[in-house]
Amino acid sequence: MDLSVLDRLKWLQQQQMVSPEFLQILGSDGREELKRVESYLGNNNDELQSFRHFPEFGPDYDTTDGCISRTSSFQMEPVKNSGHSRAISLQNKRKPEGKTEKREKKKIKAEDETESSMKGKTNMSNTETSSEIQKPDYIHVRARRGEATDRHSLAERARREKISKKMKCLQDIVPGCNKVTGKAGMLDEIINYVQSLQQQVEFLSMKLSVINPELECHIDDLSAKQFQAYFTGLPEADSKQSIMADFRSFPLHQQGSIDYSVMNGTKDQTSSSWETHSQCIYNSLRTDSVTNFFSLK
Amino acid sequence: MERQIINKRKRVFSLQPNKNPNALFTRRYVSHLVPALKKINMNKSSSKTNHQSFEKTVKHEVDMAFALSAQEFAWSRFLQQKLLSSPHDDLISTSSSPSEILERSSKKQGGEKHQDRDEEGGEIKKRLKELQKLLPGGEEMNMEEILSEIGSYIVCLELQMIVLKSIVQDNTS
Repeated sequence: MDLSVLDRLKWLQQQQMVSPEFLQILGSDGREELKRVESYLGNNNDELQSFRHFPEFGPDYDTTDGCISRTSSFQMEPVKNSGHSRAISLQNKRKPEGKTEKREKKKIKAEDETESSMKGKTNMSNTETSSEIQKPDYIHVRARRGEATDRHSLAERARREKISKKMKCLQDIVPGCNKVTGKAGMLDEIINYVQSLQQQVEFLSMKLSVINPELECHIDDLSAKQFQAYFTGLPEADSKQSIMADFRSFPLHQQGSIDYSVMNGTKDQTSSSWETHSQCIYNSLRTDSVTNFFSLK
Repeated sequence: MERQIINKRKRVFSLQPNKNPNALFTRRYVSHLVPALKKINMNKSSSKTNHQSFEKTVKHEVDMAFALSAQEFAWSRFLQQKLLSSPHDDLISTSSSPSEILERSSKKQGGEKHQDRDEEGGEIKKRLKELQKLLPGGEEMNMEEILSEIGSYIVCLELQMIVLKSIVQDNTS
C-alpha cells in the first residue's frame, strides 16, 4: 500500500519540486508521515487558496493563468491532499481540456469523511492513476459515483459548473434574483433588470436634454469630487447632503420602486476581487445614502 | 499644504483613487460627460437645431461617455464601435417593450407545464438570445462570455444612473 505511494512520490521528486526533506519524512514510517505530508502540502496550498478567489469576469485571466503554472506541480498530489488542491484543480480546467486526462473528484463535502477512507481510495486509484500519469500538467480527478468518465462529459460538466458559478455571481448583482430558482427564471430577472436600467438611462438622458440649457453654472460644482466622496465613504458635508435630500423625492414615475430596491437592497459579498470591491463599496454607498437620508429627515 | 486647505473642497480624499473600480468608472464617466454637455450647450446656441436631434446628440454623448469610461470590458468596445460608426441611430435597444415581456412570461408559464429538459433548454436559449440583444456586442459572444460581461455591464449601468440622477437633481433644484 504505502509502497506505491512512495513510488509516486519518488517519481515526483524526479520530475520537479518535491524537496529531499520531504522524502526523508516519508522514508521512515508510513501512515503518520503521510499525515505530515498532507499538512505540509496543505500549508503550501494555503497561499494558493488566495488565488482561488479570482474573479470570473473582467481582465484577470492573465493572473489566474499565472497561478495555474505555479500550481501545476501540486496537481500530482490530488488524491492525498485535502480539499484545497481539488478546488484548484477544478479551477485549472481553464486549460485546454483536450490535453488533460481527468477523472472528476468527489465534492468537498464528501471529503470530510474519514481520512482513512481517503487513504483507502488513494491506494485503489494509485495503481490506476500511476499508469495514466504522463505529463506534469495533467489534472487528475476521480469520477463521481454513477457518472461517466469520458472526456466529453467531463468537459461538459466543467463547462456547466463554470456557468453555474457565473450565474451565482449574477444572482448577487441583480436584486430579486434570490427568490427565483432555475436558470430560466434568473435569466428572466436579469433581462428585466437590464431593460429597466436601460430605460431609466434613456429617460434620464431625455430629462438631461430638457434641462440642458440651464446647466452652465452648476456643472462646475458637479465635478468628480462629489462622487469620490461617495465612494470612499468619507463625509463631504454640503454637496452630499444636498444630493441626498432630493433623492427620495425624485419622481422617476413608475420606475421609482425599482430604484428603491436598487438603493436599499443589501447583497452578499462574493469572493472575487472585482466583485468584493464593487459590492462592498457599493453597499457602503447604499447604506450611506440611506443613513444620510434618515439623518436629514 | 496651504493649497490643500484653500482648495479643500476640491481635494481628492482617496489616497488610491484608482483602486476602487466603482469610483474609477464614475470619475471617468463624469469627466467625459460634463465637458461634452458643455460643448453641446455652446453649440446649441450657435446652430439652430430642433429638440429631437438635440435629444439624440445628448443621448449619443451619454452613451459615448459610458463606453469610454469602462474600457476594460468587451461590451464597452463594441458599444464604442457602434457609436462611432452610426452616431445618429437609436442604439440602446429598448425595443423589448412591456408587450414582449408579457409574451415571454406567458410562454414561460406554458413551458412550465411540460417541463422536459429539452423544453427548459429551449427556454434558456430564448432568454439568452434576448440577453444577447440587450448587451452591446452580445451577438458575437458565446454563453459564458455573455454571463461574464453582463455582470460588469449591470454595475456600470447602475453607476451611470447615479451620476445622471444627481446631475439632473442638481440642476432642477
